[in-house]
Amino acid sequence: MGLSDLFKKKTEETNADSAAEEKKSSSHYLTGKEVREIAKSNQKEMRRLEKEKNRKLPPSAYTSQMKNPENILEVENLHSYFFTDQGVVKAVNGVSFDIPLNSTVGVVGESGCGKSVTSMSIMRLLQGPSGQIVEGSIRFKTVDYMRDKNGKFIPEYETDENGDVIYEEVKDKAGRTKKDKNGEPLRRPKQAKDENGLGLFKKEEVVYDIAKMPISEMYRLRGRQMAMVFQEPMTSLNPVFTIGNQLDEVTLLHVPGATKEFAKERSIQMLNMVGIAMAERVYASYPHELSGGMRQRIMIAMALAGEPRLIIADEPTTALDVTIQAQILELFNDLKKRINGSILLITHDLGVIAEMADYVVVMYAGRIIEKGTASEIFHNPCHPYTQGLQKSKPTMKSSDDRLFNIPGNVPNPVDMPDYCYFKERCGKCVKQCSGKYPEMVQLSPTHFVACHLYQPRNE
Amino acid sequence: MSKEEKNIKTAIPQDEPENAAKTEITEQAGAQTGAAENAAENAAQKIEAAGDFSSYDDQAEFSKEQEEREKKIKEDESLPPDPNAILEVRHLKKYFVLKKTLLGKPLSQLKAVDDVSFKIYPGETLGIVGESGCGKSTMGRAILKLHQPTAGQIFFKGENIADYNQKQMRPLRTQMQIVFQDPYSSLPPRSTVGDILSEPVKVHNLVPKEQIKEYVLELMEKCGLRDYYYERYPHEFSGGQRQRICIARALSVNPALVICDEPVSALDVSIQAQIINLLKNLQEERKLTYLFISHDLSVVKFISDKIGVMYLGSLVEFGTKDEIFNHPMHPYTHALFSAVPNPNPDEKTERVVLKGDIPSPANPPLGCKFHTRCPKAMEICKHIAPVYKEYEEGHFVACHCYPQE
Repeated sequence: MGLSDLFKKKTEETNADSAAEEKKSSSHYLTGKEVREIAKSNQKEMRRLEKEKNRKLPPSAYTSQMKNPENILEVENLHSYFFTDQGVVKAVNGVSFDIPLNSTVGVVGESGCGKSVTSMSIMRLLQGPSGQIVEGSIRFKTVDYMRDKNGKFIPEYETDENGDVIYEEVKDKAGRTKKDKNGEPLRRPKQAKDENGLGLFKKEEVVYDIAKMPISEMYRLRGRQMAMVFQEPMTSLNPVFTIGNQLDEVTLLHVPGATKEFAKERSIQMLNMVGIAMAERVYASYPHELSGGMRQRIMIAMALAGEPRLIIADEPTTALDVTIQAQILELFNDLKKRINGSILLITHDLGVIAEMADYVVVMYAGRIIEKGTASEIFHNPCHPYTQGLQKSKPTMKSSDDRLFNIPGNVPNPVDMPDYCYFKERCGKCVKQCSGKYPEMVQLSPTHFVACHLYQPRNE
Repeated sequence: MSKEEKNIKTAIPQDEPENAAKTEITEQAGAQTGAAENAAENAAQKIEAAGDFSSYDDQAEFSKEQEEREKKIKEDESLPPDPNAILEVRHLKKYFVLKKTLLGKPLSQLKAVDDVSFKIYPGETLGIVGESGCGKSTMGRAILKLHQPTAGQIFFKGENIADYNQKQMRPLRTQMQIVFQDPYSSLPPRSTVGDILSEPVKVHNLVPKEQIKEYVLELMEKCGLRDYYYERYPHEFSGGQRQRICIARALSVNPALVICDEPVSALDVSIQAQIINLLKNLQEERKLTYLFISHDLSVVKFISDKIGVMYLGSLVEFGTKDEIFNHPMHPYTHALFSAVPNPNPDEKTERVVLKGDIPSPANPPLGCKFHTRCPKAMEICKHIAPVYKEYEEGHFVACHCYPQE
């Protein structure tokens, strides 16, 4: 080996060293030992949370009170973490927002900012054991069926003018009156019925704290009180059952006393409501026979079938074409007027938010950085990230030569800095930015922003 | 007869005017099922019976039209290519065979690209817009000969490459490159960035061996990639970075034409802006020509000089950006524009919402292909296909709303 070769080898080595150092400092490089340590401590935490999720609780432990009776959902200081072998990913890190009754709240942000995890937390659909709600409360106002000690629904009885319960004679299948031991006709209180001939049950207004609810109780809410429209209509329908089968299931599960005929009637009514022209035909077809736009309509119909008070739409138009997107947005706008409930719309498209939402929440790296009414966010964006997001989207009217772009990337979610997460990409940094993470500042009754630029100066 | 059956019987005639919806199902079910085909045929017959065209023989007229078109194509074939254009596409067709007879002859075909013609001049960007399934990606690939075109001519720098074989194409690969849509699946997971970027250079022998690394590092810097990424693998990068690698790979052979097949659709808004600006910078620096395929109108508007609007395999409108955006002529272009969400919450624009979905290209409607969804459809549209004609200089439209002769 010649001297020059040796020299070459040495320089290569030093290069490799510097590369390794670079790796250590820039990407979050972990040795095997470190990974095992993290995994071990995570295991413990995950087991504890998983146990908490599955334990049995009396209803009083997870009922609560709303702070503002106008709201249907209040999320307060929500923390949802993922325990991975590389460390804890704080996907949602202290998020608080409200959804008022009969309104649409839009959540915007880039992918990975925690908007989908927020919606999954509300539905308690986080993939366990690694995904867990660690802290916070999600209060949800429902109108739930009352239950007796055995967990059965309490029927509502018909009353006469004096408020006394009307009794009816019990009849057997052949239509003969049943008699008791003494030969007297058997009587029971008459259950009130709705226009469809289904028995009514007593309902009451309950506020549940979803974050504390045992997972086995969530069936009370999912589908009946809140429903979700997922992003990919292609994969969220079951390919081996007909549309009708899947739609009927919702009604059969969530409407007590529903018959198959009633379920079918209801399903077809829902299909008509979402603007499907040949409801009968679609009812009998399989998901693969339908196009993407049709499938998304089916998903929406399915969400509506349980008459929920809150619909969570997680990127409902992202997988669709512009023209189909316009159809679906039109449908949502139309439904908003017709159903008595609220919509939580999650998307990364600011245009969609502007068309749909009354209130807007902007998320970045697991935190809310700005929230307000739609016109406040669009006409007076305050956080530099919101401003950048708006400028970087080419619009039909803009005629600039270059697009504004936010430099850099979202910081690594495993190891978030203590200071403002946006500092590295921000063009308006001030001295305080290197300090603590900024607190929410109120600019108007509805407009909040988390940025040091708007922090009241004490000095 | 049960109640349900009655319901079905009454439901179907009501839906008859909803042509779009009908084709939606019958055609999505696939042309394979005979029943679906019959239904579509029946529908066509009923339309025929309805209007003034009652004595009109669609099939005979269709074959006549076809013959005339063939004639025109043959006439055009002998014309010399435009010497100024870097790429000239003439009557490009790409059919996929769905079913074959016993002897191997095609029984049913999917007309993914059906008679497309355009020119691109050096340094220009041509944007192609359309819904998914309209054949825009297939067209891009057919130009690169990643799909062998069924018919038509592709002149690249004056050479007709439509009939070239793989071997003849290889030297041309340095001239034309492609950036794919999904940066997550278009990079080899087992090669480092350095390998990915130096491989095309090595294969085409563009740079002496000793200088390859230097060349690649310089290229990486231009595309906004740090030099220590050289040793890394694709999985270590985010979507935006991966798309930069894809762009760098396409540029590594110093091409003249780059086909960008939805390069920003899979990316976030803030990353989209970075990539679009990068593409613009590189174009200015290297005098690149882009064929930019996208379904996002605002992106296409931003980057293109000329725009072609595609619907079901053919161009329905073509013109300069200003022409298309200021005076859109085709109803489909109108609908596309109004479908883009307006980022101003106080401004509610009147919207043309198209009914139904794009029909299946395996079984396109007779006459004008857009008539099933067109808000301005007339009786003639259902029977006679409109001529793709130049109305103003460089502004081509195929629509019956404008004089045909």
